[in-house]
Amino acid sequence: MKITQQTTAHTLTLSLDGELDASSSVILDTELTKPEILNYQKVLIDCQRLNYISSAGLGVFISHLQRFQDANVKLVFFNMQEKVHNVFEILGLDTLMTIVPSESEATAI
Amino acid sequence: MPSSQRLTATLLPLTLLSWVVLLVSTLLRASPPETASLSALPDWVTLVAQAVFAAGVFIYYRFQPDPLRGTDFVGLFRRLVLGPGILASICVALHLLERFVQYQLPSSDRTFFAVIYTINSGLFILFLASTTYTWRSLVLFRSSGRLRREWELFEILLGGTLLLRLLGWELPTYLMLLVIGGLAIFGVYLSGNQKWVAYLNRRQKWEVVFMQLAILLCMTIFVAYFVRIQYDPKLIAPEPQHAFLLLTVFFAAFYAVMGLFVTFFNLPTAGVFEQKREEILSLQRLTQLIQRGQTEEDVYSMLFDATVQTVEADAAWLDIEVSDEAYKGQRYHITEEQCTAIRGLLADYNLGHIEYLNNDLPNSSGFRSLGLPFGSLIVMPLRSTKRQYGALYMLKNQPQGFDRENLGILQTFTSQTILSIENLQLVAASIQNERVQEELKIASTVQESLIPKDLPIDNWFEISSHAMAAKEVGGDFYDFLHLPGQRLAILIGDVSGKGITAAFHMAQMKGIFHALMQENPLARNEREKFPVPSKFMAMANKALVHCLEKSSFITASLYIIDYENRGFVFARAGHCHTLYYHSIKEEVSYFRTTGLGLGIIRHDAYEKHIKNQFYDYNPGDVMVIYTDGIVEARGQIRRNTARIDCNRCWSVRITLRPMKLRI
Repeated sequence: MKITQQTTAHTLTLSLDGELDASSSVILDTELTKPEILNYQKVLIDCQRLNYISSAGLGVFISHLQRFQDANVKLVFFNMQEKVHNVFEILGLDTLMTIVPSESEATAI
Repeated sequence: MPSSQRLTATLLPLTLLSWVVLLVSTLLRASPPETASLSALPDWVTLVAQAVFAAGVFIYYRFQPDPLRGTDFVGLFRRLVLGPGILASICVALHLLERFVQYQLPSSDRTFFAVIYTINSGLFILFLASTTYTWRSLVLFRSSGRLRREWELFEILLGGTLLLRLLGWELPTYLMLLVIGGLAIFGVYLSGNQKWVAYLNRRQKWEVVFMQLAILLCMTIFVAYFVRIQYDPKLIAPEPQHAFLLLTVFFAAFYAVMGLFVTFFNLPTAGVFEQKREEILSLQRLTQLIQRGQTEEDVYSMLFDATVQTVEADAAWLDIEVSDEAYKGQRYHITEEQCTAIRGLLADYNLGHIEYLNNDLPNSSGFRSLGLPFGSLIVMPLRSTKRQYGALYMLKNQPQGFDRENLGILQTFTSQTILSIENLQLVAASIQNERVQEELKIASTVQESLIPKDLPIDNWFEISSHAMAAKEVGGDFYDFLHLPGQRLAILIGDVSGKGITAAFHMAQMKGIFHALMQENPLARNEREKFPVPSKFMAMANKALVHCLEKSSFITASLYIIDYENRGFVFARAGHCHTLYYHSIKEEVSYFRTTGLGLGIIRHDAYEKHIKNQFYDYNPGDVMVIYTDGIVEARGQIRRNTARIDCNRCWSVRITLRPMKLRI
């Protein structure tokens, strides 16, 4: 799992590369736990290279969901592969989280 | 060794025979001519007998097993002193007896004199041979092959020269001097090999010095005897014999003297060697502690005692910052306040955590102000490549108390200690790991016992189940409950994560299921007696809020099948879509309903995210309820293809009787 960061004034983009499983989700959790992340208005997650997400990986997003909402930080997923989107959908997360097809739509939100 | 035994077996009689010949020859020479029945044997017979005897004795000793056992030098010397010591005593006793007899019965009869002389010369050769070969084992102690070859050469040269001399082949004097001089230099060179002295401690060195003196004394007795006899008017032996014996004594005596000097001059260094020995022993003790699997405290105490003793510190203390135990270190001849003061001072200079040696504390103004009696200080950090464990502080009263060598010793000690500590930690970790494995096994057993073994039986449905646990404990589960009327509740679920936590949550979910699916006695109508699936999920979500950690969630589906009405109602909380076979349409499809997993949002808003779905079934329909263990499969290759495969295989097999349905 490789996570690359890209920041603009109000937006933080995290690009996930690889598989988000029990061991790699720890890295993501560390990134999302950083207090300064709440200073952004938007946190975009680029899922283009995310090949697989396990329940532990989903757990990381779920555990930060409420915190982001409370701080009024928008969490937006984009470029999600079909199979990963399927997992989000089955679990019902697509109704809770903002998932958009492309980066331009993500920045437009 | 058989060959050396054979050699001994042939040598002994030959040697004895030659000695008897020697005796007879001497006796014949000594007997007064008037009583002689036989004429004296010629000189060469005596000399050859002498040569054979000497050669026999030397060769005999040469092929004896090495008298040195291990590094028992004192024992070697003791045996040497006792053997030749007795020989010398016999020699002296015989000499005295001879004098006494002469005094009592003065006569010109030389028979007795001759016998004593022959015995003594035999004893002397025995003594020289045993001494020479004792020296050999000392010279060759832990020596190289080169030295061994040099020694053999020396033996041949010495033997050759001596025998030539004995047989009276006179060389020109200058040549003789050259040969003997060369041999002497060779002997001096070989005598320089006194490696064994280093292996003695002080007491042993003193013992060896005295024993070497005793050997020299024995030699003196023999030499004195022969020197005296040489000028005896009754001299009976041919002259070359004496020269041979006196020359043989040269090497033996020289080595003894050299050894004596080396040992004597090594006496002052005995302390150093003993100290080194003590260090090695301490290190060995430290190493042994690892194997005995003692505690960290033991290892640190061992280090502390060993170092204080080795560097002879007047005061010392040990700080341990990182330890799995409550151990914080220990002190020796210093108070906690003094330690704190020095620690503070070192921290001011930023010296607390590096290797540091100060031999001139009184000249350091900071230290002088503390008013402590110490003159020298060593700080030795205890660290591995990964972390710092603490530091060791050694103090001496006098300035210039420590040297670089002390620093080296402390380094060795501390690195050995850290190695031990890390080994102990590894052992502890592996024990811990084993315990976790054991607990996982228990969790796995518990999980298995939570899944019902017996499926519900009734005449209006057929049911079959298949569960196969992954290698680790997972959180997949299902359960059944018969409800009044012809109704059956089926719950299937999957707890996120693996291991014991998942197993616990699964047990909780099972508990929640059985608790909520109880008949409500306050219900006003039939519908309210049991919660509908969406209500059940909302209640379960509320119950789970208090026990599920933030990043965990549970997916579940609850089905309530009603035979009387030939329909069922279900709610899907984030669980895998139900697979359904329509017997009339003869096709397979998923029930695609919405529904959020349990524990994802933890407030009342959850109810909005869960829906009930009703369906009326037909006879022959088949419903497949499963967890994503199937979809995810094992390993990465199947992960993406599993779903497709499942679809296909179900399509094929689903027309079979449910009892035979296997994934």
